[in-house]
Amino acid sequence: MENKFDITEGQRIEGTPFCPTRETIWEFCEASLDYNPLHWDDEYMKSNFGKTNFGGIIMHGMSNFSLITKMMTDWALPQGGIHRRLETRWKAPVKPGDTITPSGTVKKVKPTEKANWVVVTVQVKNQQDAVVAEGEAMVEFPH
Amino acid sequence: MDYKYDTDFWAGNAARKIWDDIVPGEPRKTIPYTLTKEAIYKLCHATGDMNPLYVDEDYAKTTKWGGIIAPPSIHVLLMFSCTPNDDWMRSPGTINAGQSWSYNIPARPGDVITLHARALDKFIKGDRLFAVHDNVFFNQNNEVICSGRGWTIRPM
Repeated sequence: MENKFDITEGQRIEGTPFCPTRETIWEFCEASLDYNPLHWDDEYMKSNFGKTNFGGIIMHGMSNFSLITKMMTDWALPQGGIHRRLETRWKAPVKPGDTITPSGTVKKVKPTEKANWVVVTVQVKNQQDAVVAEGEAMVEFPH
Repeated sequence: MDYKYDTDFWAGNAARKIWDDIVPGEPRKTIPYTLTKEAIYKLCHATGDMNPLYVDEDYAKTTKWGGIIAPPSIHVLLMFSCTPNDDWMRSPGTINAGQSWSYNIPARPGDVITLHARALDKFIKGDRLFAVHDNVFFNQNNEVICSGRGWTIRPM
């Protein structure tokens, strides 16, 4: 954990792809206790949400969120960093059969009195290279 | 949980606050929740995040934490386990538009976790009704685990 701090702006971070299925989405319902019918009820998902029709069940946004926190922690921990913040916006729904992959780019390295703070631009793309989530993370590397 | 968690989010939906009833600043009812290794394992498995720090006690003992900790995203579970069945976050059709979370110390198995929660704001954008959720989770020592905001589109 005593690695020398050598993170530079522009550095890329690659996360692990995830392939949601009806089964993984239901497993997430059970693990998160979020049983919103958006995630399991085919009949309900035939209806419109304002002007939007999702055309079937969608994955939890927070499953996306977890995928990004995994990427950030897997990247930071071996280098002595602590994942401190994540802000995300969902840009498009994720459906069973999609493959989604998170990635990040170091946008800023900001030394403060007690740490080096790293700001990372993050996004999640699907198999069609469309952005389904985007946001920003912060990692603290204490001095 | 010492109350019956209702997995049917339609049940009791009439009792939940709709957008018109939400008062920004008004505290929401919350329930203390004792986190377990099993609950952490289930969430890690469901998200494909099987870091041994979260699921392997022997490994976790060798780290600076001295035992299993929960992943940062444990608040995903805590949001539901620390709120009652009539909380409006469960209203069917609630759509998550975005989230922002800050992490202080990790949650651990055995922690008795409490939530301070409210709607911080509500607004209209286009045809949609939004609420801003404001949440802080504490452990039994009154230390902040994490704090966060969520933006949801309310069902109409």
